[in-house]
Amino acid sequence: MVDRPDPADSELVLAVVARDDGEAFARLVRRHQSMVRSVLRRLAKGDAALADDLAQETFIRAWRNLRSFRFDARFSTWLYRIAFNTWLSEARRRREVLLEDSPEAPEAEEPPPGAPAEDRVDLERAIASLPDGERAAIAACYYADLTHEEAAAAIGIPLGTVKTHILRAKAKLRARLGED
Amino acid sequence: MNATPEDRMDRLLREDARRGIPDEGFSLRVASALPRARAWLRPALLLGSAALGGALAWLLAPSGTSLVQGFLDLARLQSQTPSAVAAIGMALAMAVCAAVLVAEEN
Repeated sequence: MVDRPDPADSELVLAVVARDDGEAFARLVRRHQSMVRSVLRRLAKGDAALADDLAQETFIRAWRNLRSFRFDARFSTWLYRIAFNTWLSEARRRREVLLEDSPEAPEAEEPPPGAPAEDRVDLERAIASLPDGERAAIAACYYADLTHEEAAAAIGIPLGTVKTHILRAKAKLRARLGED
Repeated sequence: MNATPEDRMDRLLREDARRGIPDEGFSLRVASALPRARAWLRPALLLGSAALGGALAWLLAPSGTSLVQGFLDLARLQSQTPSAVAAIGMALAMAVCAAVLVAEEN
C-alpha cells in the first residue's frame, strides 16, 4: 500500500473551510504548533506558560477566521501575524509596547556583572533581554522563518526598521553570549 | 575559511529555531478548546427549514388533502390526485434532507 503524502497547508485549509473538518485543522495545529509556540516564547521573554496560553488563543482565532485566509501568503505567515497580534494585545493590556526604533526603547534586563560572558546568559535569556521591537524582528525572521519584507508587513513597521532591529539585536546577542 | 561572528550568530539562531518544541499534548488541548457551535448549526438550520416548509405545506394544502390519503392513492397507482402530489413532495423533501445530513456527516 502506498502512503498518501502529507496534504499541503492549502488543501487542509480548504477542507476546514468547506466542511468544518476538525481533523484537517488538527493536522494544521500539529504541523505549526512548534513555530507558533517558539515565536511566542521569544515574544513573551521565555514565559512558557503565558506563551502556550497565547498560542492556544492564536489557533482559536485562526479557526474562527480561516475563511478570511486569501492564499496570497503562506499559511505560516498568516498564522504568525495572528500570533503576533495576540501577543501585542496581551502586552498592550499589561503595558506600552515600543516596536519602532526609539532611544527610549527599554532594555528588559541586564545580565548580572562578574561572571564570564559565556556563562551569564543562554540564548533564550539573551533574547528575552532585547527590547520589544528587536525581539519581535528576531522572532519573525528566525523562529517564524519570514523574509524581512514579510516581517515588516506582519509587525507593521518599515522594512528599514526591521533590518536595523535585526542588526542591533544580533550585535547585542553576540556581546551577551561572548561571541565577539 | 573562518566564519565571522555575524555568521556564527546567524547559525546559532537558526539551529535554535530548528530545534522546535515537542507537542506534548498541546494540539489536543487546542482541539478541546475550539468552539463547536458550527458543528450542529447547519443540520439544525436544515431540519428547522424542512419542518417549517412541511408545516406551511400542510396549512396551505387544499382542504381534504391528507398525507395518509396521498400514500393510499399512490399505492393504488393514482399519482395525479392533490393528496398524492403532496405525499410525493413531502417524500422528496425528506430524501433531500437525509442526503444533505449524510453528506455533512461524511
